[in-house]
Amino acid sequence: MSDSLSYLLMAWLDPSLLGLTALGVLGGIYIGAIPGLSVTMAVSILISFTFSWDINNALALMVGIYVGGVYGGSRTAILLNIPGAPSAVTTAFDGYPLAQRGEAGKAIGLSTIMSVIGGIMGTVVLAGTAPYLSDLSLQFAPRDYFLIAVLGLLLVSSLSGKSLARGIFAVALGATIGLVGMDPVTAQPRLTMGSMELMGGISYVAVMIGLFGVAEALYQLHNLAKVPVKQNVNKIVPPLNMILKFLPLSMRASLIGVIVGALPGTGGDIASLFAYDHAKRSVKNPSRPFGEGAYEGLVAPETANNAAVGGAYVPMLTLGMPGDAVTAVIIGALVIHGLNPGPMLMIETPYIFWFTVGNLALANIFLLIFGLTGIKIFSKIVEVPKSILIPLIVVLCVVGAYSINSNMMDVYWMLGFGILGYWLKVFGFQMGPIILGVILGPMLDESYRQAMSSVGDQGGQFLLSLFTNPLSLILSSVTILVLLSNTPLKGWVLARFKRQ
Amino acid sequence: MFKPLVTSIAIAAGALAFSGIALAEYPDRNIQGTIQWGAGGATDNVVRSLTPYVEDILGTTIVLTNRPGGTGVIGMNHVMRQRPDGYNLLFGAENPELYQLMGLADFTYDDMQPISIIAQGLVVIAAPADSPFNNLSDLLDYAHEHPGELRMGGTGAGGLPSTVHAMINAVDELDVRTVTFGGDGPGITAMMGDHIDFMPLSLAAAGEQIRGGKMKGLAVLTKEEIDALPGVPPITEALPNIADFLPWGPFWGVFVRKETPEDVVGVLQDAYQQAVASDEFTRFLRDYGAEPLNLNGEEAQQYLDNWQSVTAWSMYDADPDSLKATPEALEIPRPAAAKTKAAAEDEAESEAAAE
Repeated sequence: MSDSLSYLLMAWLDPSLLGLTALGVLGGIYIGAIPGLSVTMAVSILISFTFSWDINNALALMVGIYVGGVYGGSRTAILLNIPGAPSAVTTAFDGYPLAQRGEAGKAIGLSTIMSVIGGIMGTVVLAGTAPYLSDLSLQFAPRDYFLIAVLGLLLVSSLSGKSLARGIFAVALGATIGLVGMDPVTAQPRLTMGSMELMGGISYVAVMIGLFGVAEALYQLHNLAKVPVKQNVNKIVPPLNMILKFLPLSMRASLIGVIVGALPGTGGDIASLFAYDHAKRSVKNPSRPFGEGAYEGLVAPETANNAAVGGAYVPMLTLGMPGDAVTAVIIGALVIHGLNPGPMLMIETPYIFWFTVGNLALANIFLLIFGLTGIKIFSKIVEVPKSILIPLIVVLCVVGAYSINSNMMDVYWMLGFGILGYWLKVFGFQMGPIILGVILGPMLDESYRQAMSSVGDQGGQFLLSLFTNPLSLILSSVTILVLLSNTPLKGWVLARFKRQ
Repeated sequence: MFKPLVTSIAIAAGALAFSGIALAEYPDRNIQGTIQWGAGGATDNVVRSLTPYVEDILGTTIVLTNRPGGTGVIGMNHVMRQRPDGYNLLFGAENPELYQLMGLADFTYDDMQPISIIAQGLVVIAAPADSPFNNLSDLLDYAHEHPGELRMGGTGAGGLPSTVHAMINAVDELDVRTVTFGGDGPGITAMMGDHIDFMPLSLAAAGEQIRGGKMKGLAVLTKEEIDALPGVPPITEALPNIADFLPWGPFWGVFVRKETPEDVVGVLQDAYQQAVASDEFTRFLRDYGAEPLNLNGEEAQQYLDNWQSVTAWSMYDADPDSLKATPEALEIPRPAAAKTKAAAEDEAESEAAAE
């Protein structure tokens, strides 16, 4: 136990580890804030860079970047309506309207506090329940991932704004984009029209930068004459009673974040979508209607995506299996440094586990410090005249799209989707459902085919399996409930009951 | 009088200096390295571990970029469109050898110059820890009695599990449901949750899980037991005829375009040979469940040709319909030694015809 404690405090007591974690968080915030510069990319570059370093130093820097990066995506989402990372897509829904009301400073302050709460909660769950949570995550069979994807598709009702029909169209469009590339089973090109460039699929980050960045920039050309909103930067740290008021919601969102993060194959992006939807369903009287600057709409995704970080470490540290793309790269770093990430990691090198837990907690402290400083200057970005800001955004989008895979093709896609997104916006379509489709389409495709082949391609067996396993039964029931409550079917069912 | 002479000497010296620059030793700037698989994968891990040693020897920086997608087509296509000056390296796995066969692209490693075949990964057929099968013979017996019932983890057509499955089917019969995952990692996760019954995996991905008791090894794809997995029988114990295909495994290599100048190829080959042979990197490979090969030149070409022939023909013999082109049409010779079921049947037929 005393060993665990000393490992836990290692990063807190060693000045160089302390410094590297701080540096990582600070760097991560900016990497996360720029669309296209991703944490995954930063961490894989760090692998070559830190090759000759001590493993602890390398891990401290990576943890810092990870925590800072997940948070950083919210900055540009709030200020410019351009999420810096897919996990911040939902943050823009209510964050940007807040900035338009002159509350950018307050929104960033609130998102910082909530990110830290989520991050700490994720770390606590990781420290306390990692072995149990990883056992639970292993129970998820392909059919359960299929049900999660279906449940995710039902989020369309929360994301499509005023017109559900437009939302469903947007999800279908997104899902189709997500299916371009190689068929995962037959390894044959699908929807590539014979182009070799398309065999790798369309990068969903490029789609995101186009739809949110360029499309938004083009759309704002309509309001060039409008004087930018004056930002109130006096109240940045939200008052304690406000934090306490949102605490129950942030706890629930953290839980969603940790569990979704711990499932191999799902990460912060899906966690924040589910959390946003949960807030929309569970909060009866939001501070303002959702989509118009509700604080609740900011709190839920921001806590969930940072809680997912702790979750993603669960399968990584207990089993050597990645919880998301970033932890996959960190596993690679452990291998290169001569450690053996696997079930024996916690037995043979227990200090890695406790060191990571302590380091995550430390990184969240730094996040609080760096997140709350410099907001005043950041908020002023919104006050920059549009004629200067918009060209800068477009340049940033091009750089971001190119840096995903150093491929010009991604830039073309980004611009194409920017223009498409502009027209969709003009005709009242929301961008959120498109991203939902891009993320969930491939997951639905893969998990459905896995589940079907597991039962020998018999449709009846497949349907039966959705109800005969405890975990699947729970997920199916939730799916059916959500489906009923979202559609006219609900009224019909209730009427039937009343008549009887 | 001296003036013109001084000038001409100066000019000559300048010219000499200039030509000196033009003929500067390769490499005189950063080298771009393209990894055809994503960050954190096996190819990525091997390349990022090896690169620092090569950088030391060459005295330059190798800038690594992951360009994944299309089972590596994207990354390879990128390098093949760069200048053939030795400043663009491709770090790839075995997949390009099957592109033409699968109809994915019209090129293979035959269109490139191998610098080094770094190492070959070992393969293990793994099952969940609580599986009723203790070795491959148990599993085959069960599968013979209950065809189409066991769930095998796969990674899609042309992936390692499908090739191993094809090899087994070329000498025996293994009728299973194939559940396809995005890679070794998701497959292992599903196996630990008992969602599949077995899966052929690279030892690099599965070794730690087996050592930790979360999975067990049914057979290793070698002719003899290996040190890394004591107690796991070689596959030849259950299927003696499969020996003709061995040694076989996924491999990692460094390639440049065919038109690259010979002296540049030489410099690179020497650097990689030295780096792969270094004690630290050899130790890394062994820990990682891989066998160092360190082949270049003629040997590397032979290795590639043999790999392609064994893999292509076993896939063809197991299920010709799964391929877009026959190995025959692509002029891939049938492995000389392999006695597959199909080959044996052909032989029997021709003998019958002769009689």
